[in-house]
Amino acid sequence: MGMKRSRFLSKTITYILLLAGAIIVFIPFWYMIVTSLKPQSYIFEIPPRLWPREVTLQNYVVALSKDRFGLYFLNSLVVAITTTAVTVFISSLLAYAFARLRFPFKEALFYLLLLGMMIPPVMLIIPQFIVAKQLGLLDSLQGLVLVYITMNLAMQTFLLRGFFEDIPQELEDAALIDGAGRWTIFWRVIIPLSRPGLAVVTIFTFLYSWDEFPWAHVAIKETTRRTLPIAIALFQSQHLTEWGQVFAASIVALIPVVLVFVIFQRYFIQGISTSGLKG
Amino acid sequence: MRISPKRDRKETLTAFLFLAPGFALFLLFLLGPMAYSFRISFYDWKIVNPAKSQWVGLANYAETLANPIFRRAVINTLAYAVVTVPAQIALGLAVAILLNQRIRGRAAFRVIYYLPVITSWVIVSLLFEYMFIGQAGLVNYVLRDVLGLISENIFWLADPILTFVPIHLLGIWKGVGWTAIICLAGLQAIPEHLQEAAEVDGAGVAARFFYITLPLLRPTLVFLVVVLTIGALNAYISNLLITNGGDPLDLTHFVLTLMYEATFGRLDFGAGAAISYMLTLFVFIISVVQIRLLRREMDI
Amino acid sequence: MKAFNKWIVIALVVALALLLGACRQAATPEPTSPPTAPPPTKAPEPTKAVEPPAEPVTITYWHTMSDPETAQLEKVVAAFEAANPGIKVETTRFAYDDFKSALLTGLAGGEAPDTARMDIVWAPEFAEQEALLQLDGVMPEFETLAEKVFPGPLATNYWKGHYYGLPQNTNTQVLLWNKSNFEAAGLAGPPETMEEFAQVACELSDPANEQYGYALGGTYFWAPAPVFYAMGGRIVDEAITTADGYINGPESVAAFSLLKDLYDKGCLSPNLLGGGIGTADGHATGKYAMITDGPWMVDIYKGAYPDFEVNFALVPKGPDGTTSSVVGGEDVVIFATSEQQEAAMKWASYLLSEEAQKMMAEVGVIPTRADLIGDPSLPEYFDIFLQQLQTAQARVPHPRWSDMDGAINNAFQRMLRGDQTVQEALDQAASEINQMLAQ
Repeated sequence: MGMKRSRFLSKTITYILLLAGAIIVFIPFWYMIVTSLKPQSYIFEIPPRLWPREVTLQNYVVALSKDRFGLYFLNSLVVAITTTAVTVFISSLLAYAFARLRFPFKEALFYLLLLGMMIPPVMLIIPQFIVAKQLGLLDSLQGLVLVYITMNLAMQTFLLRGFFEDIPQELEDAALIDGAGRWTIFWRVIIPLSRPGLAVVTIFTFLYSWDEFPWAHVAIKETTRRTLPIAIALFQSQHLTEWGQVFAASIVALIPVVLVFVIFQRYFIQGISTSGLKG
Repeated sequence: MRISPKRDRKETLTAFLFLAPGFALFLLFLLGPMAYSFRISFYDWKIVNPAKSQWVGLANYAETLANPIFRRAVINTLAYAVVTVPAQIALGLAVAILLNQRIRGRAAFRVIYYLPVITSWVIVSLLFEYMFIGQAGLVNYVLRDVLGLISENIFWLADPILTFVPIHLLGIWKGVGWTAIICLAGLQAIPEHLQEAAEVDGAGVAARFFYITLPLLRPTLVFLVVVLTIGALNAYISNLLITNGGDPLDLTHFVLTLMYEATFGRLDFGAGAAISYMLTLFVFIISVVQIRLLRREMDI
Repeated sequence: MKAFNKWIVIALVVALALLLGACRQAATPEPTSPPTAPPPTKAPEPTKAVEPPAEPVTITYWHTMSDPETAQLEKVVAAFEAANPGIKVETTRFAYDDFKSALLTGLAGGEAPDTARMDIVWAPEFAEQEALLQLDGVMPEFETLAEKVFPGPLATNYWKGHYYGLPQNTNTQVLLWNKSNFEAAGLAGPPETMEEFAQVACELSDPANEQYGYALGGTYFWAPAPVFYAMGGRIVDEAITTADGYINGPESVAAFSLLKDLYDKGCLSPNLLGGGIGTADGHATGKYAMITDGPWMVDIYKGAYPDFEVNFALVPKGPDGTTSSVVGGEDVVIFATSEQQEAAMKWASYLLSEEAQKMMAEVGVIPTRADLIGDPSLPEYFDIFLQQLQTAQARVPHPRWSDMDGAINNAFQRMLRGDQTVQEALDQAASEINQMLAQ
């Protein structure tokens, strides 16, 4: 059998599988879009319809002009960017130490850190609130950022440690022999070679801090410091929720997350590490 | 390479400098609060006047363990992990391998598969509930009118077992994209020339997958198994929204929906904390075992 | 490689700039907002207690109102502030589902508001936690106001011999009947007695075509409550000491038997067991000829089914010839931790004033003052609800109400599924509730 033919066959199969999967994945999302475009926004139609009878942008107009959507969007952006940048940096430091350095209680400290992603966050909210109050961090965006960084540390460090361990030790040893310090190695060798991992951390931390609700909801009372998830939650009321508006606002809120993903997924390019190692 | 004690000390110092910023935050906002709520778990805690709280020893733990609803919740939670974790890894890995090829529209596909990850739990729970409505939902429509597999409508959400169909599917649906991204990043570490060389040597797709891809992806898979298991055992939002917290007959709880109910439903903070710490301990043990097992295999 | 480093450096610089910017922003005290701006300045923090006495007192008020209600509340606040110079009210809105956790966290951290409007079933729960200020004998106008409001809503504030709040607004469920369904079946109007109701419900049903005479939103107590109370059902005795002979007494059994019977005959939609068409949709689309629901349905239908004609009727009369239903709504409470109790009490009593109640009624909020019945300024559709409220009953005012609700919910499920007879299911619920009362 010719390699070309088998290549062609495997490409075709790839496409069929990807398309089938994409359709399944997309159906609920499609419903979300359709509902956001429906004029009657109380609840879904029975029987279900895959296309609205009437298309309107009214829900978007109302949702975006409600309260101070723009300000909340900006607050979320500030919080998410800051959290992401600092988390990437701090968890890289941690991950490097755990992946490459020798120090006492290394394993114990690592498991202690992992504990951080095992405890249900809801359980921590009340004591975190007390700590934040004592530090004067309530009603401030810094209060959100610091807690978000903390809540992300365990998982992102765990993830990055895996990537750092994959980098051949010889590269680091060579640099050490050349007289480079640990900081130089970290900054000039490890970080540049871990782009896919750092991209993943960026994507996920941004998503987390963009979406986080339970902490923001107790820590922020001042209306001017609200983030988007709080604003969107307020679209729901006890007896009458305009789901069309909730969906419209949520779709708009997805845009930055999708942008971050589109920008950073470029670093998952096949063959990077080989060329990187050779270079 | 042997290292002198002096270098050892220097390395320890360096390591602690690298660890300092992270652990400072960790102590302040995580370990401290954890200790606080751990203490609560031994009290009949009074939220307004903590000074009036009564020490009850292990009573909160004992009562929880003796509760049949809790035991059922443990089974439900374990079943959720057993079903959704392997499914997410298998499907996520498959998607990642497909998406790792040089194909047209790769970025678009990646975005589509990522969409479920970024939509809010509240909204997708609602959507899944809607699709599984008994009387005229999309799923019944497809099963009955399109495929003819069932003769009568199924009331998915009224049944203590069938309720988990939408809950499990939602968990998988939402998690595949996440898993795929991590796998995708992990696949970058596998040198392309290895695959090519094997292909030239006549190794089939399956052989390449089992002898090259899988072993080299092990650190990623260790991470995924551990993190997804933690996530599955800590799941609650979809369950809370789809079952209203235990409907029917308190048979469909997850451990955390019970915790949520104890804490914010009954204001029984002691019981809520006790449930949390039992879960955390269990998750911790499972994770340590998983890491050790999977890592050791890799080292050999 | 360089590109990525650049990203990191840029991101870090931006992050630091933002953090510093935010810090500075937080450090500079904000100028007092002009009177026209909706969000007033934050309450003075305890550390800055050395303020001159002339400074106006600020009290906080948390609530879960809808958009139009919140807009109207701003007017109420403005009117109150105009009448009480020296007191400022700062309102914060929450989503209903997240309100309890916000209150609890606030209480735990010593950051609770001065006043709040909370669900009537929460008041005893928070009172039991010693979070609320006792109002009888403490609040000067309490007795006067208590006499003016409906007894059912007032009772929701009662816990262990004292009142911990006042009913701010109320609602109840009445019968909604779909006229076209009734006309198609040759029926003149809504049923007036429970007997008639049961009969009509079956005449209007055609299960093969997903057509039902009556539908409930679920098995949680609020859903069957109108039928339950109209049939003379009781959960516990007056003094809240026992459920025995009440939730499993003959009237309660008759109430649940009526529903169970309708369900078995295919006259009550199976959606109440979970995962069916919602009652509001089903009713408007003619699938459910009758439902029981509250005053908010007017606005819901206005938005979602503008062509649908809503028809209300009193809940059919039970065997003893009286109609009844269940009380819903919210209470205004003052937190025990409030440092501005005097101002808080003024605000609470203003919220119950004729003026404030009428203002809120403009956006569909039903007043709690019985002396407003028949007031021409109230929307017409309030009449039926105010009438129903005269006999509507409060659910058990007890801190463990949500557990009791769960016990009745499960009993209802067990009887519908045929696991137990109605009597057996309610006997079990009675013993479960007795255990809760014993604690």
